Amino acid sequence: MIVAQQKPLEEILRMIDPYERIMILGCGTCMTVCGAGGEREVAFLQKALEIAESREGEKHTFIPYTLKRQCDPEFLDLLTDRIEDVDAILSLGCGVGVQALAERFSDLPILPGVDTSFLGMAKEWGVWDERCAACGHCMLGETAGICPITRCAKGILNGPCAGPKGGKCEVDGERDCAWVLIYRRLERLGQLDKMRRFYPPRNFERPKRILRRT
Amino acid sequence: MALSLLEEKLEAGEFVVTAEVGPPKGTDLTEMIHNIDLLKEWVDAINVTDHQSSVMRFPSLGGCLLVKERGGEPILQVTCRDRNRLALQADLLFAYTRGIRNVLCLTGDSVEVGDHRGAKPVFDLDSVQLLRGIKEMEEGRDMGGNPLKGAPQFYLGASVHVEADEIEPQLMKFEKKVMAGARFFQTQGIFRVESLRRFMPYASQFGVKVLAGIIVISSARMARYMNEKVPGITVPDEIIEELSSTEKGKALQKGIEIAARTIRTIKEEGLCSGVHIMAIGNEKVVPELIEAAGLNGRAR
Amino acid sequence: MRAKITTYQDRTLIPPCQAACPLHMRIREYVDLIAQGRIMEALKVIREDNPFPSICAHVCTHPCEEACRRGKVDKPVAIRALKRFAVEFGGDRMVEIEAETRRKEKVAVVGSGPAGMACAYYLRRLGYPVTIFEAHSEPGGMLRVGIPRYRLPREIVQREFDRLIRMGVELRLNTRVVSLDLLFEMGYQAVFVTIGAHQGLRLGIEGEEGPGVVDGATFLREVNLGLKPLLGEKVGVVGGGNVAIDAARTALRLGAKEVRVLYRRGPEEMPASEAEVQQAKEEGVQFDYLVAPLRIERERNKLKVICIRMKLGEPDSSGRRRPVPIEGSEFPLMLDTLIVAIGQAPQLPEDFRLRIGKGATIHVDPVSLATNRPGVFAGGDAVTGPATVVEALAVGKRAAFRIDDYLNHRYPVPEKEARPVVGDLLPETIAMIRKISRMDPPHLPPEVRVKEFVPVEMVYGWEEAIKEARRCLKCGAGAEIFSRDRCASCLTCLRVCPYHVPRLNGTGEVEIPADQCQACGICVAQCPAKVIILRKPQDRRQIAEELNHLARYGPSKPMMVGFCCQYGLYGTGVLSGLYREKKAGVYIIPVSCVGKVEAEHLLEAFRLGAEGVFVAGCGDQCSREDTALWLGRRIEKVRESLGEMGLEPERIKLFMPGEGRDLLEDLRDFSQKVAGLYLASLVRQEVKYDSCPTEAFGRDPTHDRPL
Repeated sequence: MIVAQQKPLEEILRMIDPYERIMILGCGTCMTVCGAGGEREVAFLQKALEIAESREGEKHTFIPYTLKRQCDPEFLDLLTDRIEDVDAILSLGCGVGVQALAERFSDLPILPGVDTSFLGMAKEWGVWDERCAACGHCMLGETAGICPITRCAKGILNGPCAGPKGGKCEVDGERDCAWVLIYRRLERLGQLDKMRRFYPPRNFERPKRILRRT
Repeated sequence: MALSLLEEKLEAGEFVVTAEVGPPKGTDLTEMIHNIDLLKEWVDAINVTDHQSSVMRFPSLGGCLLVKERGGEPILQVTCRDRNRLALQADLLFAYTRGIRNVLCLTGDSVEVGDHRGAKPVFDLDSVQLLRGIKEMEEGRDMGGNPLKGAPQFYLGASVHVEADEIEPQLMKFEKKVMAGARFFQTQGIFRVESLRRFMPYASQFGVKVLAGIIVISSARMARYMNEKVPGITVPDEIIEELSSTEKGKALQKGIEIAARTIRTIKEEGLCSGVHIMAIGNEKVVPELIEAAGLNGRAR
Repeated sequence: MRAKITTYQDRTLIPPCQAACPLHMRIREYVDLIAQGRIMEALKVIREDNPFPSICAHVCTHPCEEACRRGKVDKPVAIRALKRFAVEFGGDRMVEIEAETRRKEKVAVVGSGPAGMACAYYLRRLGYPVTIFEAHSEPGGMLRVGIPRYRLPREIVQREFDRLIRMGVELRLNTRVVSLDLLFEMGYQAVFVTIGAHQGLRLGIEGEEGPGVVDGATFLREVNLGLKPLLGEKVGVVGGGNVAIDAARTALRLGAKEVRVLYRRGPEEMPASEAEVQQAKEEGVQFDYLVAPLRIERERNKLKVICIRMKLGEPDSSGRRRPVPIEGSEFPLMLDTLIVAIGQAPQLPEDFRLRIGKGATIHVDPVSLATNRPGVFAGGDAVTGPATVVEALAVGKRAAFRIDDYLNHRYPVPEKEARPVVGDLLPETIAMIRKISRMDPPHLPPEVRVKEFVPVEMVYGWEEAIKEARRCLKCGAGAEIFSRDRCASCLTCLRVCPYHVPRLNGTGEVEIPADQCQACGICVAQCPAKVIILRKPQDRRQIAEELNHLARYGPSKPMMVGFCCQYGLYGTGVLSGLYREKKAGVYIIPVSCVGKVEAEHLLEAFRLGAEGVFVAGCGDQCSREDTALWLGRRIEKVRESLGEMGLEPERIKLFMPGEGRDLLEDLRDFSQKVAGLYLASLVRQEVKYDSCPTEAFGRDPTHDRPL
């Protein structure tokens, strides 16, 4: 899941300032799941903006709408009729959605309403943690399913460093040391020999376009 | 033929003492030069730290050149936090041409604990990959596999955390470092000799030289600070007790006393090849410590 | 394709109480209204579904309570007692008496029992001239001559007949119909035969004829008509139904010292209602189970009833275990009077020429209620054998519409219910529901009540009624995911439900099983995609409509807006106190459970100009779990948003009464604080006016549903 956070209201107000008719566009997939930009957030944000600007004496017109996704061209087709007199779109979609909109509606300013933060999962209601760095060279089979790049603060492949105390990372006492976790889980799986292996430096090359034509 | 004086002494079985100097944050090198001049009379080799605790400072490479200039034996500390593999290899080529032979390969503290918290942490390599990479350079190839015109040779070292609460992963890391080419080790600060007693029989099978890290704590407050903020160091409660129950103004003395005690025990029991003193800002007390530890006769 | 749903579509399931009620009364709806203190509205719903609720309020056998799912949690909701509370509270209000004659066809109703009453009522409403023929001097059938006064006071029955007469129904007492042909000759075009079952069945044992042995139904009739038969001191009653119990308790009230009920099976097999048996025992009636009389001898002026003990053998055709006499276990019982109450059958004049079925009852087509004679319909005890009042009312109502079909040459189509009935509660769900004991209305103590024929059961007080009504689980009126394609399967509803109801089905989609949902509304307010709705249209609409109203008709700048729970506050009168405060610029939005108030609702109140917003829930009395918890989080979210605009966090507050706190006091403090903040912001010239009220919640044309 792509996980994001809504931008502070102040920043959004500044962004929308020059425009009059603004569509607040939500996303019905990732942004709904992480609670940053679904239908409910669109409604809430619209009201918040209206309250905020009434105190400033500003007056924008907001047009709320939510697409199932913003990152597929067919979904964007559904917008063509609705944006006739829209001056700007405040997208609550992730960075992909914002860019998709900008590419498609190149005459329209597209403003990002959320800060896309990471690929992650929900631990429980309201708690999302980063899990995947999209590095393009997944080695989770070597590390018992625990990613050293996202979960180790230094992202090293031959860990641990000397930092962990009580199994927690030197950076953040709340964060587990990924390599201690990897050790424990490899031990449980009877695969500690994996941790003795030398892992060469990362290959930072990864594809920026993937084709699947068959 | 030993590559460096440090290697020679360690291989000869001497009880080696090393210490570290921290470079300044700025261009004023007066204090650093003063410390180098002081320490070179008392210790066998001097580490120059590399942005220790992720605080931006005058570079360790520059510091090592200074040590050499002033007639000391330098140990170049290299961390992987700030430079990618190209920059690291380049620095090492340069270091070799200027006569630096002792290199301590470290992963490096994370950016968050320092004073440039938003900086991009590099960690293109970790300490194991760096050791391996240097070994490849010694064989005449760079890390990309390309032939070198003139290959360096180094006496390689690394760190090891002997007092870690989760010891097994640290031991696995230690072994990896040995396999990757580390010949000498400086441990993180030792406070309980017991941990060294347990570690050394295991470590000796690898034929590497271990220098026990000794930290001079100047107050209970410093101890607590280090416990909380400094990675790799855990000051036990009994030491903090001992420090806090000292009368006011005498805490530093107490710190020296504690450190000297530790060094004496290590030497008497012949536990390892020597000690590495980390006085952290208090370089001037090193001579006093060395004397208090009964390691007289060092002064040249 | 987007799913369209209109604001008014009823998507609830039929609750088990409504399904079990022969009249299909909307019990869930009126109990909920009582719980909110809206008694008159509850009474309106009751009277729409039942023409004579005052009668049911006293004597209904409440099949609804037997079906009530609360009974699986602890005890069923005391529905009958609540209905009585509403009926007595409303008195004569909400009573419909409007009826005009629009048709020419006359209809005759033979028998003025509950079936006849209901049939006459609905026929009259449909515009037909109706005549009820009653053989006795008093109308009401079993209501009048069967059920004792301490269960159903005379006045109640009389009042209903007065009303029927006011509606234009003709009532002919003391008129026994002996020939249906005569009725047709008199110009009636349809007849509803509902003469009941008043002929007591005989034991068929030696000595039954003669003094001292009396039929139960006859006995009750005589007492109800004002006679005081002499029973002597020791009275025995043979039988196990309500008539037997009524006879026993009536005997006590007439002065008998010792009354015993002889029943040939055991206590579990007794058909009489448990409550009646319990009250009888309290009053001192003794019960001899597995005993039957063999023969009756007379010694001096007493009856010597030879009884035999029974044991239970194999089940008979009714499914109950057949009682078998135990050889050699005879014993004598000395009694002054023996009342035989083992059942009744209709006394059908041969001249009616109606086809007879089992137990001497009239045979009818179950769908059209027609007998073998054209234009002649039948219903009630005369068709079913002795049954209950509510069944009689239900059949009377149906008969009216079937007679209407007949007179209009319409095909009598059986009624179909499109909505499914709620299923059973799973044990996992039951475990999560908070147990609350049932509160029955108070009863007169046994010593007092046996002295007279006054009503045994008293009526609830206001607070008790509301508390009892809140135990209702609102079966079938919960939440549903109405737009599958917009559900992102984010699993929020799964995670926030305190009853763990939403779950992933076999294909990995989220569903909210209607049978388990407790209708708390938390998932509706938390769903990030807003695809969960409440099935009941009033629940869906309530807050949005209230806010629209505020936008259109409220003060253009309300000082404060308060969302107030109707359950706790209205019931305790506090809400009405708040309404009075309205003069100070406080605009109250009543909600049925604050758990339904969403973050956008709160923001909207500010958007409409409120300087302060509060939410007043019913505290620990909330009958649903976690509502205050989630509401608190939504309030926190609003607070953060306000903070980003430079509005003080104190402007929004949650009040939970309880623990001796005075809500009005707290509100006054809050009100002052808000006023202070408002003045401060005026001074800082932060506030600019936008005094043009806009529509708060419109219809989203793309979704065709309210936002």
